[in-house]
Amino acid sequence: MSDPLKYVGQPIARVDGPAKVTGKARFTVDVQPPGTLVCRILRSPHPHARILGIDISAAQKLPGVKAVVTADDTLKIKHGFVETPRYPADQYPLAVGVVRHVGEEIAAVAAVDEHTAEAALKLIKVEYEILPAVFDPEEAMKADAPEVHPSHPKVTEPFRNIAGKTETGWGDVDQGLAESDYVRTDRFESHLRTHGYLEPQATVASWEDGKLNVWTSSMGPFIKRKKLAQTLGLPLSAVRVHKSYVGGAFGGKIDLFSHEFCAALLSMKTGRPVKVVVSREEIFAAYRHGQPLIVELTTGVKKDGSIVAQRIRTINNCGAYKGSGVVVIFLSWGFAMATYRIPNMAYEGFAVYTNNTVRCPQRGHGAPQMRFAIESQMDMIAEEIGLDPVAIRLVNARLPDEQLPNGDNVHNCGLVECIEKAAERINLRERYGSSRNKAAEGGSLRRGVGIGVSAYFGGSLIYPNSSSVIVKLNDDGSLIILTGSLDIGQGAETILTQIVAEELQVPISQISIMAADTETTPVDIGVWISGNAYVTGNAAREAAMAVRHKILEIAAQELETETCQLVLSEKAVSVTGAPERRMSYAEIYEASVRSRRGDPIIGEGHWRTMRDVPTHPSLATAKGRWTENYAFDAQAAEVEVDIETGKARLVRAVTAHDCGFPINPLNVDGQIDGQVSMALGHAFLEEVMMENGRTLNPSWLEYRMPTIGEMALSESIDVITESYVVGQPYRTKEVGEGYVSAILAAIANALYDAVGVRLYTTPFTPERILKALKEKAQADSGNA
Amino acid sequence: MEHIKVVVHLLINGDAHDLAIAPEATLSEVLRGQLGLTGTKDGCGTGECGACTVLADGRPILSCLTLAFECQGREITTIEGVACNGELNPVQQAFIDAGAIQCGFCTPGMVLATIALLNETPHPSFAEIEKALEGVLCRCTGYNKIVEAVNRAAEAIAARLKGGTSCQTP
Ligand code: FES
Ligand code: FES
Repeated sequence: MSDPLKYVGQPIARVDGPAKVTGKARFTVDVQPPGTLVCRILRSPHPHARILGIDISAAQKLPGVKAVVTADDTLKIKHGFVETPRYPADQYPLAVGVVRHVGEEIAAVAAVDEHTAEAALKLIKVEYEILPAVFDPEEAMKADAPEVHPSHPKVTEPFRNIAGKTETGWGDVDQGLAESDYVRTDRFESHLRTHGYLEPQATVASWEDGKLNVWTSSMGPFIKRKKLAQTLGLPLSAVRVHKSYVGGAFGGKIDLFSHEFCAALLSMKTGRPVKVVVSREEIFAAYRHGQPLIVELTTGVKKDGSIVAQRIRTINNCGAYKGSGVVVIFLSWGFAMATYRIPNMAYEGFAVYTNNTVRCPQRGHGAPQMRFAIESQMDMIAEEIGLDPVAIRLVNARLPDEQLPNGDNVHNCGLVECIEKAAERINLRERYGSSRNKAAEGGSLRRGVGIGVSAYFGGSLIYPNSSSVIVKLNDDGSLIILTGSLDIGQGAETILTQIVAEELQVPISQISIMAADTETTPVDIGVWISGNAYVTGNAAREAAMAVRHKILEIAAQELETETCQLVLSEKAVSVTGAPERRMSYAEIYEASVRSRRGDPIIGEGHWRTMRDVPTHPSLATAKGRWTENYAFDAQAAEVEVDIETGKARLVRAVTAHDCGFPINPLNVDGQIDGQVSMALGHAFLEEVMMENGRTLNPSWLEYRMPTIGEMALSESIDVITESYVVGQPYRTKEVGEGYVSAILAAIANALYDAVGVRLYTTPFTPERILKALKEKAQADSGNA
Repeated sequence: MEHIKVVVHLLINGDAHDLAIAPEATLSEVLRGQLGLTGTKDGCGTGECGACTVLADGRPILSCLTLAFECQGREITTIEGVACNGELNPVQQAFIDAGAIQCGFCTPGMVLATIALLNETPHPSFAEIEKALEGVLCRCTGYNKIVEAVNRAAEAIAARLKGGTSCQTP
């Protein structure tokens, strides 16, 4: 039996808490080198237009303007979220010849202050030829639609504007559906939401002596370095991305953004630091949001509820460039297949270009949309065949060690237990259906409960594919961790510190962490592939273990014993059973420097999710392994609906989650609460309203994010399926984005339970609810 | 371009400053830009997010909507000014302990709004917490742990008062 864990698994307060709570934490918006110029960006007012000419001469002459750049000042190198042979980069940092969405970047100005920069933008003359535009993805697929880009050459269907397609499947779906006892087809639609990070997009770039120094609000410095170097034509070594704290990201700060490129280029032109802070209105109107999906879903089941076959077709309105649109149609398949056994499956997903703003990952990256569809339909099927929502899920839920169709394995999957526990906590079996549409005590309020399940992957291979960590011993026995990982609020610095503390038995307060600097910290996979806890965490553990080995060797030598006789505690090593034979880490450091020719005890560790897989799976066919790491969850919701006003709210959420084991339960709970909140915003409040490519509600006054007034009760239940053992690799699972999905479905199902209406389109606004209630009343009276 | 400047006398975290500012400069611009007090955050600049909340004579105001010259004669407290003798304010400590901080961008505004609340209402009900923090958006936490932090801070302050500690919150 190993010793109980002292640091890992404990609800330890965040290590960056003091910096953040005192205002000392430096975010990109706070970086202000002396002499910094202000950058502002000229954006297209049109959704689709040819640029006939740009005249910057008047802007250049304005006193206080230091530089103006357009595409002609660039190398015209394209970039993209995906850059593969099938999906090459498709977007210029500044528009070349054509603009394809409102807000597309055309020119940028660096000036001594904001007023001057704004005034300069007004002096830039752009002559446009307006081109026909298309906004709805199904319209855009039609043969006579305006062309945003030519359809992908490998797509054989006669559709226009196809940015990409994923097609995969197994078994025989037609036969499976024919053999099913019950089959139904439904269509679900989701809407456009934004990330709502509190810190705006911002970048500071400073070109000094042939080196580009960059501070940017991001989700990983290494990917930014790569894309900046690529588009600016610089060697990687000429770009240094520095650490700054990040005020939230949620998927929205991964891609290379034009403002980052422009700040860099303008600094190179002027030789002065250049700062750009994007306005909230620009973020709403011109920046990348999530991805509204259309999901057409046909499912056949046996009488016992077991799925026989499923046919899924998704259409993603991916905006004017590919962004991550071609990834979402691939991921959506994954979110469909990971939770339930589906013997026969046919999946096709289309990413369709339109003249809308570009789309990027958003917490869950397709999972909320897909799980909303599948889990809503699951409840409908259950009702038709006379099963309860728990029973039908238990019949289909994946079991430990099941092989997934892509060759991945679910390993210690805890899904069944998650379903049982979530259902039990909210008393779902008893409550579901019991109060449906029954008038509560004389009022207009109705309550219902519902459940949904989901799975999420973590740490898949994507540039830079791996993480390394360095741990250094100081001569006073304290430690320094060097990691390329970035804390965006999720607690990266805290959990890495906990892991190193555990491996080396050094108190948290005696460990400092240097993070997220491309020049002084080792490479890191980035905090956007749900891999920090697993990939970087294991690298930190390996690095600490290397230090541990050295410490033990030296102590064994000095104390004249075997390493297996030694125990570590409180920055010291002692001999088992003889605590007086003891050396502090400070003494060990001294001994190492003395006897090992100056070795100050530095450990390095590396990790990569899958050792033997060369690259990520095919986005076209979904063939190829993906990860070792699937997290599972079941979430239950209690929803209240006012049948007079149509207003609905989430009252209570229960999340039963298999995240392997929580490295920090306080962080895990925080992640769950935040995701529940985001999902209730998704369900009831938030929508970026667009008309002809223009955003109608570009502010937080008109785009309602949850305030404290909408807070729901959030409870979590750990389903522990993995363990942490000192000195051994572990397989914990992600918690950062998997819990926005099942809860959305659970809300939809609870809404149905409360008032008996099924909504196929998010968000569940009062108008939609009232309309559905009215239609139901008409149908009911027609039947009576 | 020539800009007109006015000289203002501001009292910030107990320090007096004479500053030449543009008449239209907001308090948040002066705090962040001229004084380097970047703990005050600007999430929207238009009064929608509450990240820029500071205290004026102990009451929360949105520094992005307040002209700096209007703050003359008022005692301004920012997040940099709430720790006491190098020790965290109980509200700051409670936010750390309760796990009420994630990205931390809303934290300064939340902490200041909470300090103002607890000064007026030492034992707030949930409705009172809701009302006091309604104007400060947090995207990360879902607010659950923020409510917990407010309650913890209320308890800590009560315990401290009993113990007769001299530290005054602003
Ligand atoms: S910055 Fe003042 S309210 Fe948003
Ligand atoms: S902690 Fe990120 S916005 Fe509140």
